This record gives sequence, C-alpha cells and structure tokens, in this order.
Amino acid sequence: MRISLKWLSEYVALPSPEEVARKLTAVGLEVEAMERTGQGLRGVVAARVLSSEKHPNAEKLSVTRIDRGEGEPLQIVCGAKNYAVGDVVPLATIGTVLPGGAKIEKAKLRGVESFGMLCSARELGLSPDASGLLILPPEVKPGTPIAEALGLEDVLLEVNVTPNRPDCLSHLGIARELAAILGQPVRLPAPKLAEAGGPASDAVKVRIDAPDRCARYAARVVEGVKIGPSPAWLARRLEACGVRSISNVVDATNYVLLELGHPLHAFDLERVAGREIVVRTAHPGERLATLDGKVRTLAPDDLLVADRDRGSALAGVMGGGDSEIAAGTTRVLVESAWFEPSGIRRTSRRHGLKTEASYRFERGADPGMVIPAVDRCAALIAELAGGVVRPGIVDAHPRQNARPEVRLRWRRPAELLGMEVSREDARRILIGLGFEERASDADGATFRVPTWRVDVSIEEDLVEEIVRTLGYDSIPATLPANAVVMPAEPVEAQAISRIRAALEASGFSEAVNFSFVAARALEPFGRSVETGDGSGRALGIALKNPISNDLAVMRTTLVPSLLADLAHDRRQRIEDVRLYEIARTYGTGARPEEAPSAEALQVAGVVAGRRVPVGWAAPGDVVDFYDAKAAVAGVLEALGIDGARFEAPGASWLHPRTSAVVTRGGEVLGDVGELHPRVAQAFELPRGVLAFELRLDALLRAAELVPQYRPFPRLPAVLRDLAVVVDDAVTAASVEGLVREEPLVEAVTLFDVYRGAPLPAGKKNLALAITYRAADRTLTDEEADRVHARIVKRLAAVGAELRT
Amino acid sequence: MADLLSQLEALATGARAAIAAAPDEKGLEELRVRFLGKKGELSQVLRGMGQLPAGERPRVGEVANRVRDEVEGLLADGKRRLETKALEAELAGAPIDVTLAGRRLLPRGHRHPITRATEDISAIFARLGYEVASGPEIELDWFNFEALNLPPDHPARDMQDTFYVEESTLRAGVKPGSVLLRTHTSPVQVRSMKRLGKAPVRIICPGRVYRSDYDQTHSPMFHQVEGLCVDEGITFADLKGTLAAFARAYFGPGTRTRFRPSYFPFTEPSAEVDVSCTICGGTGRKDGKRCGTCKETGWLEVLGAGMVHPRVLENGGIDSKRHTGFAFGMGVERMAMLRYGIDDLRLYFENDLRFLSQF
Repeated sequence: MRISLKWLSEYVALPSPEEVARKLTAVGLEVEAMERTGQGLRGVVAARVLSSEKHPNAEKLSVTRIDRGEGEPLQIVCGAKNYAVGDVVPLATIGTVLPGGAKIEKAKLRGVESFGMLCSARELGLSPDASGLLILPPEVKPGTPIAEALGLEDVLLEVNVTPNRPDCLSHLGIARELAAILGQPVRLPAPKLAEAGGPASDAVKVRIDAPDRCARYAARVVEGVKIGPSPAWLARRLEACGVRSISNVVDATNYVLLELGHPLHAFDLERVAGREIVVRTAHPGERLATLDGKVRTLAPDDLLVADRDRGSALAGVMGGGDSEIAAGTTRVLVESAWFEPSGIRRTSRRHGLKTEASYRFERGADPGMVIPAVDRCAALIAELAGGVVRPGIVDAHPRQNARPEVRLRWRRPAELLGMEVSREDARRILIGLGFEERASDADGATFRVPTWRVDVSIEEDLVEEIVRTLGYDSIPATLPANAVVMPAEPVEAQAISRIRAALEASGFSEAVNFSFVAARALEPFGRSVETGDGSGRALGIALKNPISNDLAVMRTTLVPSLLADLAHDRRQRIEDVRLYEIARTYGTGARPEEAPSAEALQVAGVVAGRRVPVGWAAPGDVVDFYDAKAAVAGVLEALGIDGARFEAPGASWLHPRTSAVVTRGGEVLGDVGELHPRVAQAFELPRGVLAFELRLDALLRAAELVPQYRPFPRLPAVLRDLAVVVDDAVTAASVEGLVREEPLVEAVTLFDVYRGAPLPAGKKNLALAITYRAADRTLTDEEADRVHARIVKRLAAVGAELRT
Repeated sequence: MADLLSQLEALATGARAAIAAAPDEKGLEELRVRFLGKKGELSQVLRGMGQLPAGERPRVGEVANRVRDEVEGLLADGKRRLETKALEAELAGAPIDVTLAGRRLLPRGHRHPITRATEDISAIFARLGYEVASGPEIELDWFNFEALNLPPDHPARDMQDTFYVEESTLRAGVKPGSVLLRTHTSPVQVRSMKRLGKAPVRIICPGRVYRSDYDQTHSPMFHQVEGLCVDEGITFADLKGTLAAFARAYFGPGTRTRFRPSYFPFTEPSAEVDVSCTICGGTGRKDGKRCGTCKETGWLEVLGAGMVHPRVLENGGIDSKRHTGFAFGMGVERMAMLRYGIDDLRLYFENDLRFLSQF
C-alpha cells in the first residue's frame, strides 16, 4: 500500500517522515521504502508567456518571451501550439536536468537563441501527456518552483500491510494506527452532503437475493453530473498511490477507496434496467462483459450485482462494461456494500481478476464503513462533477455483521509474554485502538472489537494488540525454564553424516539439485510410480502448475540431476568431476488420503575424468568401474556394513558389462557402474561416466553404526602367496571364496590380475596373498603347507591351474 | 724373532698410511682383505711363527694380536669417517623442489554450503535440547495450510505461491487440489505434535520447501529450518531468549536481535526477527560507504517467529489451555549467504565445482 504523507497529514498530525516510518514498522506495518517526490524538478519554475511569434526559419517552431518572475524576460524557442499568450507554463531553466536525464543548455535553434525549455507533463515525468505544454493554473506566480506550484513535494511510503490487516489498506487506516501510537485523535473526513430533489428510493430499488454473500448494499444517487477530467490535485493523489486517473466520477470512487479503504462502484443509472439492483449469484452459463473488455462465463458461485435483466458487475471484483460510467453519463448510482470475503476470493481466483476492490473485500472490509463511504463518495462526486445528491440512502441490510466481544484475563499477557502488563496499560492500549470495554471484573475484562478489526477474535489477539503497541523490545529475553531432555541423534542423521564424510574422503563434492526434473530426464531410468488403483503407472508424481516442463516431475532417481550437473561442469571445462547428492526420491503412497507420497532418501554419485587430477605425480589414467565401486565400498565401510555382494549386471540404465547390483543378505542396496552408452548420449555425456545410487533405508537396515569388538589372535601367522590361471569369466570373489573355505585361512588378498602373453587368450592369472593362522596354537610350516595344498586342489577342481 | 717383529711393525705402519688414504668403503674393504684376510699380510707374517722356538712364540703372538686389533680399529674408524663425510656431502647438496604439489592421491570433496549451514544450525539447537524431526515434502493441504489456521480461501495463502500435484499421478483416493509441495516446513509442527501426542515438544525440522516463484531472488525450491517448543509456561520471552542465543551462536557473540510485530496465521503474536548486520556490525556503514548487505539499516531480516496459535496447538492434539509454545522458521539459503558472503541464490543449485569447492 502506497501512502502519501501529505494526504495522511489531513487525518493526523505527523512527526518527521523517518519517525512515521519507524513507528509504523514498530507496530507491524513495515515500511519497505520511502520515496521523496518532486525532488527531480529543481530548476523548473512557473513562467508566464508574454509573447509568442512564428520562428523566422522554422514552420513548426515559435519564439516566445517569458516572464520567470525575476530579471529580464527570457527568449525561448518552443515547438508546442497548445498555449496562449498569458498562460502560465513550466520553464526548465539553464542547468536543469529533467527526469528523463536531458540537461537544459543554452541552444541555438535554426539560428534563434533559446535560454531554456518550456515543458510538457511528460517532459517533467508527471504523466504520459506529451500533446503540448503543461498549462498551470493562472493564479500561479511566475518564479514559483514547479514542485511547489503543483504540490508535488511529498513523501510516499510503501507499507507492507499483512493479510490480516485490511483495515490498514487506506490512509484513514494508517492514520488510525498512528494516532493510537501517538496518543492523538484522528480527524475523520466529514462530508458536506447537499441533498436535493426526490428521495433516492424513488430512483432505484435494491434487493439482495444472496444475503449470505452480501450482508449490506447501500446506494446513493447523484444526478446532473458532468463527466470530465479530475482536478490535478486529485489525479496526482491517485497517481501517487499507483491508481490511474480516469474521470471525475470514477476517480471519486477510487479516491474514497484509498482514503477510507472501502471499495465503491459507480453505475450509470440510466443503464440500470428497471432501475433495480439485484444482488444474486450467477445463473448457469450466464455471461458478463467486464470492464477489462473480456466476456466471462460465470460460475453459479459467482456473485453478481445485476439489474432487472442481467448482470451489471462481478460483485466486489470488477464492474461490467454495459453499465460503465461513460462520457455522457448524467445520473450516477454509487454502490457501497459489504460482500462475504471467501466468495470474493473464489471469484477473483476463478477469473484471475485481482483488483483493488477484491483485494480488500477478500481480506474483509469494514462493515461500519459502508455508510460513511457512500456519503463521502456522493459528496465528492457532487463536488467534482456537479450535480445533486438525492436525499437518503437506499440501504438493503439483511444481515448484521457480528461484532465479537473478546475477554482478556489480566494474567494472560504475562502467561503468554513472560512480562507483566498492568491492567491500566492493557485498557489504555485497547481503547486507543478502538476497542470498547463492555464489562470488567477482578479477573479480566470483555472488549468489543471495532468493526474494522476483522482479525481480532480470541484472547491471544488482544495480547498481540497490547504487546505490539508496547513494543517487542519491552519483553525480556529468557530461556525456557523446563529441564532439557537431551535427545539422541537419530540413527538416520548419524548415518548420513558418516556417508557424507566417506564420500568427501573419496573426493566427492556435494550437489544440491531441484527435486523436480523434466519427464524426459526420467525416461531412461525405467522407473515409474503406481497410480490410480495401482494398475496405472506414471514416470513420477507430476506438478499441475510447474515453473516449466523442465521442472515438472518429482524425481524417482537422483542420477539424472547429477548427470546434468556433470554436463554443466564439463561445459565449464571442468573434466575431473566427482559429485554426490543425498536427497529424497518420490513414489506414490499406498494410502494417499493420509500419505500421498512415499519419499525415500537416496545416496547417489557420479564420477568422470581422471582418477587423480593432473599433476606431476599423477598417472593420468581415467576412472573406471572400480573407482565408483571404491566410493560405494567407502560408504558401506563407514556404516559398518559387512558382506555386501556386487553382482553383474546392474540396473538397466547402466552398461551391462561394467556394472553391478549391490546386495546384502538378499536385499538390494543399490547399483553402481558405467552409464549405459544410450543414457550417456541422452545427457550429452561421453562414454565412461560412472554413477551409483544407493537406498538409504536399505543401507540403514544393514548398518552397524556402533562397531563391536572381536578378539584377534596374537599367535604368529604363516604367509603364503598363490598364483593361479583361470578362465576370464571366473570372478575374483569365487576364487577368494574357495580359498576362504579352509578354516585356517584368516585373510586373502588378491594383489595382481594379469592377462596376456604367455597366457592364452581368455585366461588370466590371479595372484593371491594368503594369511594362515590358528587361534589356539602356533601354526607350523608343515601344517600350512598341507592347507595350501588342499586349496590348490580345490581350485584345480574348478579349472584353475597352479602357476609356478 | 726380531725379523718377525719388524715385519709386524712394518705391516702396522703400512696399514696406518693406507687406511688413512682410503677414498671410500670399497677401498677400506680391499685394505681389510690385504692386511687381515686369510691370505693377507698378517697371515703371511704369522706363517713364519712355526720356525720360532716355542719360548718366543707368545711374545710374537702378543705383538701380532696388538697389530690386528690396531688395524681393525683403524678400519672401523675409517669407515665411520667415510660415512660422516658421505652424510655431510649429502646434507650439503642442493635441496629438492619443495614447491612441487604435495602428492595427494584424491583431493577431498566439499560439503554443500546449504548442508553446512543446516548442520551448524541444527547443532546449535541440539545443544538447546531440540530433536530433529521430518515430514513429507509432498504434503496434504490440511497440514500445510488448514491445520496452520489457513482455511481454504484465506487471503494469507497468497503469501505463498503453491505447487499443486497432479492427482492422476497419485494413487486413487485424494481430493482434487488437496496435495501440494509443502510451501514451508511448518506442517512438521502439527505432524510432530500429533506424533508425540503430548508436551513437551522441542523439535527442529530442516528441509526442502517449494514455491512457484523463479527469478533472481526466488528459487522454486529452497530450504528452511523450522523450530517448535511447546510446554507449560513457555512465553514470548523464552522465544526472544532462544533466538537471541541462537543468533549469537551462529553469527557471533556480538550479534544483537530485534523483534518486530508481523503476521503469520499460525502464530499469535507473530514477529519478524532481525539480527544486527553481520557485514557492517549494525552500523549501516562499511569502509566509509553504505553497507549494501543491510541497505544501510544495520539490520538483516532472518527469521519469522511467534507464539503458536491456540488453534494450531489443538490441531496437533495439544491442550491449548494448559500449554503454550513458540515456533520459528528461517531460510537456510539466506543464513548461508550471510555466513559465507554468497551473493547469488542461483549458485546454490548450479553445482558448479568452482563454487562447491570453496566450502
């Protein structure tokens, strides 16, 4: 809400603008910006045209002599035609910088010297009107600074009015708040209504068919008006508040809106069929042409202000084109009503129409302002557009707005605030804000809420009124007295922080990506969510109103986001990339009315580029499956997960030859491997990108976060190496498994894999270091040799040849 | 005998000179073989002992042992001398290039600043006894709005542009328009109260939230930390003390806090909380110039807070006649911006390694 301090000062005596801003902010009406207007026009003064002659060398220019209130008359060349000798116009003197940035200098125009510039309203930044010079009222003395002559010097405040305070969406509302803080009275505008002619009720009838949606509808009739432009002072006030000036009658309604906060509407009474106003809901399929030029098909829930035959306005939202005030209007019906807020909001949203009126009605207009506003507006119309106000108000008032009474227990402020508030302070503050004390006793008092305070209905609201007036600074700062129950860190949080540490130690940096992605980004991953009765599938849970198609579906895997990050980094010429993300993926919930989604945390990562960044000591080779596997192994180790298995191939989005599914005890923990070439292509990535994704819930089930000590033997071990040649298809795990079948084998490490000459193709040599140890005795070499021989035999049984 | 003795004497003299002149350990070894080896000079001399009368042998043997001991000692000294010389030569050599990068096989990865800020915030509240809670991001309208005193058609819903979920992509049974992406972490307030079923409640909830607004200063996804403390006798003063303690812990011991009245449908009274500007120390001026971070006000708006509305307590199953509580919420992106001097919201979600690796 834009507030003009000049305007505001009509209702309450103001301290300095800074003080006003500080005080308003302190009571919850945050002043977000302060703008001083009229400052940009220094150097522009009022000046009288003394003479005007045709320019000797230019058809379209004139040479004028100008009285600027001091010194000799100035010679100025001018291109406008709309002035007469004797008019007072704005003169930009030499040295002035106009709002558009143009600097006025002495100039020679087609051979004639010009000592300044006569200005249009547009050149002064006052309005878009560039049709000619701005003609000032004749009584303005030459030499008067233009800002003063036009009353442009003002301070505008941008006040952030929270949705609970529609009563502050006006100058009067802000004045009321200030007056309460400053302990001053509010000067309410007192309209001088000169009523004449037959009673208004002879000119129009009002009927409310939807009393639940419209508690009151009051109309006044002004006749004999002449539509024309508004006086400059009024147009400027409207424009200062961001409202365009249209005509004197329409401006009067807007002026009262900004002044009193009550939305009004003016109809051309001649175009109200049957001279009858009916407030009703729309008929099925009924159409209405609104003022914005659109023809709207209405819903039966839309409230209409109609005449005998058809709708005239979308009640409380926007007028209709048919009954609009037009240049020839002479009879005006002024509407002031109270519409039920949620209905206005539904209509406003349904039609995408947000207006000054709907904004206020949906927040709650002041029912006590219906009559003062219509009086004020009718008086203003008569003043601005001539005409006479018919006696009386045609007032349909089927329903009284309840005025709640709220009890305040004297001890309640202290209970809620932790600070004693005296009864005197509580009373003084509430009464200052317009509350009426209805009854009181030793325990508390009952206050009637002022009509404009739609936000106050419970005791806590009264406490807030008291404390915001006292100032939050007056409340002490304490800590809750009750003993702290030390909560244990949840297992999930512990696990996540260990996973982060493990991945960061493996060189991964953390990415944070949006939870929604493009549908096409999910397609290659072959996942979907169950929809409908469970038989349907969708790529993922979709948004009805996404920002764009690229941010439209809740992801079912984190991998596509990380691949996009990788592509971004590669475009920035960053090629060695290790990124991880820990975030939720979103499936559908089986009991959607309680939990529409099933959200599960995932741990995912991508690896690309060199194993070790370029360096003098770095080998420079690129990452492969085993780098990604090492990262996964690091996560498993950090969680104390033993016995995980890696089995080829991994999920379908991975390369079938270089990927694995990770399981433990039959439960899938996730997948790791090289990206499937087609997936890499879809993300515009090269071959050889590695990725993994692990399910946190499965990891947690397998985790042993608190390691359990196992005694270890201190007797000496016997170490033996073993080299065997096996088929390429034989896995390391199967050979190691066979070795481990011997109970005396304590550890086995595969320390070399060799393919190539002199081995035949399709064969590989595996070199194993085996540690033998007995728990209860010192193992002899002979005993170790016997076990070793058994292992060789066991391996031979599966086709392994001992290599000597 | 005299002949043998003089031969031994000559051997000793020769050995002394030769050992002193030995250039390296290899030369020393050759000398050891020459003088003391099986076929060395000493053995040669002693071979002549057989011709001596038995009475003279002990005397010659004694001299021979002395000579052997002396030569062995000289060899050992020579070895030590050469070792010392070699070490001195090594130590005096040119140093290696210590400016070459250290040999680190895998540079450490970096934690995202949003995570870092969230962890720091959570750790502070953990010390104050707050437990971490969570709730769904795809949320029901009831928890996100209605239970928080924001009925349908409430204008305050305009404060948060909401993403709605397409029902056809859910399982059957949801009311149209009833499923959305949570616009704040506040629904976790009601969920936590319902889950615990009784006071005291002392939780914080960090998490992702969503609003359909995307420009230079708005991201459709961002992060909040919500806090809730409900018990008997909890007051606004406790809220002030708690947040003041938090601000000092997070921004530094000199940080001041300021509470201003505001409006949230789910708290009454409500407040916006400012902290003294972390850049200019609350003076509004930095290096003689206008502080751009606080726009010269000296204050930064960082938190929303208030006393939990009785209706919200009741919706959480807590008796509002016996209990009071406070709640607060903050934007993690903003907290991280202020802490790390990040000046562009979009950096957070671009995941450029040049950004990430700074943390």
